[in-house]
Amino acid sequence: MRGRLIHKSDLLKIVDVLRADHRVMAPFNGRGRDSFFDEVTDTNKNDIAIHVLNPYYPPKRFVFPHMQKLLKITAGDKPAIQTIVHDEKLAVFGMRSCDVEGIFHLDRFYLGNAFRDGHYETLRKNLFIVNMVCSDAERDVDEDCFCVCADAGTAAKGHFDLQLMDLHDESGEFLAVAGTPAGEAFFKLPFFRKAEAAHVARRRAVLTEVRKHFKTATSWYSALTNFITRGKVSDETWKKVGDRCLECGGCSYVCPACTCFTVTDRPTAEKDGFDRVRVWDACALSGFTRMAGGHNPRKSVHDRRNRRFFRKLGHYFIQREFSMACVGCGRCVRVCHGDVGMPSVVEIVRRETAGSAGAIDREKP
Amino acid sequence: MSCKNESIYQPSITICDEVRDEIQDVKTFFWHFEDPTKEKAFRTFMPGQFAMVSLFGAGEIAISLPPSPTEDKLFFTTRRVGSATTVMHKLKPGDRFAVRGPYGNGFPMKQYEGRNLIIVAGGIGLIPLRSIILYALHNRSKYGKIQVFYGARTSKDLLYTENLKQWQADKGFECYLTVDKAEDGWKNNVGVVGSLFKMPGVDMPVDNTTVFVCGPPIMFRFVLADLQKMGFEDQNMVSTLERYMKCGVGKCGHCCIGVAYVCTDGPVFTLEQIRKLGEVI
Repeated sequence: MRGRLIHKSDLLKIVDVLRADHRVMAPFNGRGRDSFFDEVTDTNKNDIAIHVLNPYYPPKRFVFPHMQKLLKITAGDKPAIQTIVHDEKLAVFGMRSCDVEGIFHLDRFYLGNAFRDGHYETLRKNLFIVNMVCSDAERDVDEDCFCVCADAGTAAKGHFDLQLMDLHDESGEFLAVAGTPAGEAFFKLPFFRKAEAAHVARRRAVLTEVRKHFKTATSWYSALTNFITRGKVSDETWKKVGDRCLECGGCSYVCPACTCFTVTDRPTAEKDGFDRVRVWDACALSGFTRMAGGHNPRKSVHDRRNRRFFRKLGHYFIQREFSMACVGCGRCVRVCHGDVGMPSVVEIVRRETAGSAGAIDREKP
Repeated sequence: MSCKNESIYQPSITICDEVRDEIQDVKTFFWHFEDPTKEKAFRTFMPGQFAMVSLFGAGEIAISLPPSPTEDKLFFTTRRVGSATTVMHKLKPGDRFAVRGPYGNGFPMKQYEGRNLIIVAGGIGLIPLRSIILYALHNRSKYGKIQVFYGARTSKDLLYTENLKQWQADKGFECYLTVDKAEDGWKNNVGVVGSLFKMPGVDMPVDNTTVFVCGPPIMFRFVLADLQKMGFEDQNMVSTLERYMKCGVGKCGHCCIGVAYVCTDGPVFTLEQIRKLGEVI
């Protein structure tokens, strides 16, 4: 492990170095439970929250913005269409491991498969990720987190440039790990010092300890994946889930692994000018599949819930993207008014399906 | 292709050449690309593929390609149903819009070589199937028996009437027409599309045959039931699906049903695949 030590009083120096050639985003505490990512300025620099509950609004938006201009269109007699490229270096300081895994999932979706999404690629290539490992059971993790079940945390296994973790000892040291050459370049700076084997052992001990504090360790995905893939989940079960869905789309909007979007042309101030914009969309909304003329192949809400969890946990898609589209951040649990976030659905489906169908049929391929 | 210069969502400017009224609310638009190199690249399309058409300000929609690559013209046939097609129906010759594509898997015409082809279309379901007919007729010797069954509400609702006349006169294959309601002067069959299968003299080979079905959902269900009774198997029945699409390249997620993205894995599926996907029939 290319581990280095950095004292907590030096952590913000990383932000200073990044700010020389990046816009830097970092988490801040809001009122109550609330926290948010904001741009670091000279004024707010010292308020950056090191131990913080993960913001509701995911940092996914730095690579897949909530609203993103794709094309500049000038209609009229001589129309012209230009691709809009937002080419700017951005760094996120203090991204949580679940969100790092989420962005890795987006990488495989937007850059893998048949077509590469250049708009995503540009933002992604410009992004520098400083991952902060959730190490404090009180301040980093709440009762809705379940990254340990989704194999996404609490320490990301890769896909970051630099990873920092509080060792929680009296010295106030953090252990830093580089994930890319760009991250490793930081180790040349004087405030990084060599780590000893004892520090690495201490890291392991802290991680083991924090895992014990995850209350929602019941999200037993493998069963759900199995049930969903084999079509074992009955319509009645999906109806139960659907009946609790208020169709607000919140779960998709806060999900770090959701990829769907809709596209619209927005008029600009220029004559005959339009921006083609992509905007996050959610499969919970009834218009998601409605076609021109009004025909909607996925009319009922429980079909749409079925769809969401099939897309996230179906074995076919896990094979396609090499991971399930859930990183255990717990945001869908926090925002859902009907309590049908991922762990609840795992629980409902597991109980209903295991209860009605008995054991899994291992004979069938 | 560099991502910095051109995105996968960037369409190319096209010019409308001619607008033809087909039936009520259905028009055919002939068009070409402003840039001939784009046109050359686009003309590699296969029957069954589709294009994403931009109508500035109204948005972008997925439209199937009715022309066969063996023809020298590019055109779309659309019914005026939504906001984008309403704008499209106001296009005049010389007007500009934009197109990207071709997208989708298309019909694997090479795979069908040596087989009999049966094409069953209802209403505007003929639009995506037209290209197979033209393609197969152009490569007539490669395919066995070719039969076309086409039904519409009335004789005024028949699309591509010029083609229909040629097809009926053509001795190389069979073309049967039917309407739900006959009017004076109608000499062909009256009834649903399935009634054509039982007409005297119609002999539909079941072995070594691929059937293509496209039409409104109710016709689809009845025709499938008829064909199944005759012994056609699911893997030899093919259809093309339509879904709400925003990107055409497997990213926006709207067309995803079961394990398939209709835009990249389809829109052409065998009935066997469709049954596995669920949500369709």
